[in-house]
Amino acid sequence: MAHGFKPDEKVVFVGDSRVKKGTGFITPPDYTAYPGKSEAFIPNFLLKEWMVGVVVLVGFLVLTISEPAPLGYPADPGASVIPMPDWYFLFLYEYLKLPYASGDYVVLGTLGVSGVAFGALLLAPFLDTGKERRFYKRPIASTLMFLSLAAVVYLTNSAWTHYAHELEKSGMKPEHIQREEEAHEKHLQGLPTSNAKQPEENEIAIVDQQNPAMEIYKKSSCINCHAADMKGQGNAPTLRGVGDKLEKDEIADIIANGRGQMPPQKDAVSAEEIDQLAGWLASQKAAE
Amino acid sequence: MNHNHNDEHEESHKPPRRTEMSRRQFLTYTLGGATAYMAAGVVIPMVRFAVDPILQKGETGDFVKVVESSKITAEPQEFDFELKQQDGWYNSTAQLTAWIRKADDGTIIALSPICKHLGCLVGWNNNESHVNEFYCPCHGARYTPDGKNLAVAPKPLDMYTVKEDGGWIYLGEIIPNTVVN
Amino acid sequence: MLKNVYNWIDERLDITPIWRDVADHEVPEHVNPAHHFSAFVYCFGGLTFFITVIQILSGMFLTMYYVPDIINAYASVEFLQTKVAFGQIVRGMHHWGASLVIVMMFLHTMRVFFTGSYKAPREMNWVVGMLIFFVMLGLGLTGYLLPWDNKAYFATKVTLEIANSVPWLGPIIKELLQGGTIVGAETLTRFFAIHVFFLPAVLLALLVGHFIMIRRQGISGPL
Repeated sequence: MAHGFKPDEKVVFVGDSRVKKGTGFITPPDYTAYPGKSEAFIPNFLLKEWMVGVVVLVGFLVLTISEPAPLGYPADPGASVIPMPDWYFLFLYEYLKLPYASGDYVVLGTLGVSGVAFGALLLAPFLDTGKERRFYKRPIASTLMFLSLAAVVYLTNSAWTHYAHELEKSGMKPEHIQREEEAHEKHLQGLPTSNAKQPEENEIAIVDQQNPAMEIYKKSSCINCHAADMKGQGNAPTLRGVGDKLEKDEIADIIANGRGQMPPQKDAVSAEEIDQLAGWLASQKAAE
Repeated sequence: MNHNHNDEHEESHKPPRRTEMSRRQFLTYTLGGATAYMAAGVVIPMVRFAVDPILQKGETGDFVKVVESSKITAEPQEFDFELKQQDGWYNSTAQLTAWIRKADDGTIIALSPICKHLGCLVGWNNNESHVNEFYCPCHGARYTPDGKNLAVAPKPLDMYTVKEDGGWIYLGEIIPNTVVN
Repeated sequence: MLKNVYNWIDERLDITPIWRDVADHEVPEHVNPAHHFSAFVYCFGGLTFFITVIQILSGMFLTMYYVPDIINAYASVEFLQTKVAFGQIVRGMHHWGASLVIVMMFLHTMRVFFTGSYKAPREMNWVVGMLIFFVMLGLGLTGYLLPWDNKAYFATKVTLEIANSVPWLGPIIKELLQGGTIVGAETLTRFFAIHVFFLPAVLLALLVGHFIMIRRQGISGPL
């Protein structure tokens, strides 16, 4: 039925090789209507923009070198700290203190006013639809923006003042400053400056590594199961601190006759060596 | 019936419409269906994965022995206690704080110091201009000794469920304040 | 040599139109600070992008040392800042850059607002730009928690309480962000994922849209 050729029918085959090649999505805009001389983006204009970038980067690097990023103490839910968001959230933080943004009106504060303000900002082009572009010819939009800016500056300032005041009253220093000073002091005294919680040192050291019994331990088959660091492996238990659990005689008996999966060693190790080993192992006690 | 008949009559004047699907329509729907299936098949497990925490049943906490009943006065006092808690893969003991006082009628009131405004920690009598009140240093929220909100905060301070047994105070889970308002 | 390589690829893929689309265009005089010094206000958009690139790069490098885990997060940040060569500078770049990008974006937004450049036909680009602004604020918010120090922990608690005060959905939003009933291990990993994967992905998509629209529509005329 509809297979006949219809010249007036517009057929577009999307994603099809039959689509004619376009002239490109982006055609360079024509600025001849604007006053003055335009210039090429690359290299002429970009060079100027990158000059600005160079200046900004120099300032930025100087800042990063001279001022380390702040770091306080590790988070502790029980710590008494005056919470402060980053500076660009201060105005919101302070605003939520206002009587009409807190208490019974907290919904009005969080959703109502800020929702309307940010919504208006997001949709500004659809609210301010006049042709005029100069800000002094758009009195409503400009006034609202100036008022919001003034409010933001005022709120940020009062949040900071309040914070500084609270700090002074409670005699606290901001944590990152306190930490830095403390670290500096410790550094001068040659102490470790880290505040991170380290895993507890509960490893038991090997006692008297120079003892000739250590040589026996290494040469005989002990080392195969109990490992070179004496920490044991698989079913073989650690021998570090074994002196806390067993007496010398018991150890000698285990070496000679074996225990559990451990085979008897009395044929492989001489009685004298067993005595030396057992004596040494019995001295393996955890440090006080 | 008459109404229906009229409708049909009117329709007969319109050009005939094809009732079955065209080949292109069929392919489009199939493509759309396959796309929807692939998207859903990939995304659904991930979404369920991401929202798991809100679907977990909260466990009701046990009571923790905190302090001898005899130490409780009419003035709120701060007591710390430990609570074993599980945070995902991490088991820890949380240091919790309660402000405990004995009300005039003899009931024990244990308040959580977490400010109902924005979650800072309130203190008792820590501001000269607000005597005998809980005061929050963040936004100046204030509460009565029973936790009733006086300023800034929208709700009274939460309280712990209290159990008294053998001369000791036991504290349980945190519940909304039932003493005031 | 380089030219030969370029020609070899160009013969096969015809890449010249691609970079011409990106780079080959004119810039009118009224935005050129070499002609009118006051035109420096038109640089803020480019500078925002420059700082954003620094943020992405420094963030990528920070994850070489950083661990999003409540036991080790603080230790790893402290380590990379105090023990690793140039760690102070790389973390400093990411920390101060976060503030600087907000400043630059703010100035750029104000320039667009007060020159009325968001008016027809550029409404959509303003909306995309504002979305970029919100994503940047989200990045600042989630990134603030990652060092897991007291300031981060308590500020995040406050933020989550603000989310909690939203009617109806508040508690769900809070718990979804928090990943549980307390601010803890699952909160940190969530914020990390949002900060490092989700928001940057959204940001890149929005930036591409922003730039394509600028090039399609050209720079708004002089006042």
